[in-house]
Amino acid sequence: MLDPVRIQAEDFSQNEEVEALKASSRRMGGIATFIGCARDFSEGREVSQIGFEAYGSMALAEMNKLRSEAIEKFGLLDARIVHRVTTVQAGDNIVFIAAGAAHRAAAFDACRWMIDELKQRVPIWKKEITPQGDAWVTPHP
Amino acid sequence: MIKVLFFGPVADRVQTHEMQMDFSPGMTLHNVIAHLGIQHPGAFSIVSLIAVNQNQVHDKQMALQDNDEIAFMAKFSGG
Repeated sequence: MLDPVRIQAEDFSQNEEVEALKASSRRMGGIATFIGCARDFSEGREVSQIGFEAYGSMALAEMNKLRSEAIEKFGLLDARIVHRVTTVQAGDNIVFIAAGAAHRAAAFDACRWMIDELKQRVPIWKKEITPQGDAWVTPHP
Repeated sequence: MIKVLFFGPVADRVQTHEMQMDFSPGMTLHNVIAHLGIQHPGAFSIVSLIAVNQNQVHDKQMALQDNDEIAFMAKFSGG
């Protein structure tokens, strides 16, 4: 069974992640998921690839903390967070978040909270590779 | 020795991801920032987070220990 919190270069399978989440509890009545994927256009420029860099050990520790906090804060039955650190093409998956709860409201709220917190707290950086050159991305709210 | 790490845009500006500094008793985080900031002002102008041993630090007067790992980081942009 794959760890519920991972940083990896390879793509993830949403189906496998959701199955793993569901396997953790039969009391789960609602699952909310978020997938972040690579756009081919940003700030008026074509983007051909996106490269990621992470402070791996700190990022993984912070993602584990974030998952535990989400479970506690929203009363989740389980949660999963997977972030790719590699170079991706437009349309490729970047990040997967899933929140499983007894009811939908907690799942939706926790899923949104986890991706918002991840963007602020997890030491990962993205660089857009464009025909005009490369540029590190300035964080968006 | 103190291990100093740089990531993303900060690493680009320092032109390395890692360097070592000699440890001396009484050394503080501020000493490291002052030393490297003079050499790499462009990189340090975008540093917004500092971690010591993978924990974010706000107190620049923090005393360092031998073998500490310091990371200088720009704002995160994952996800």
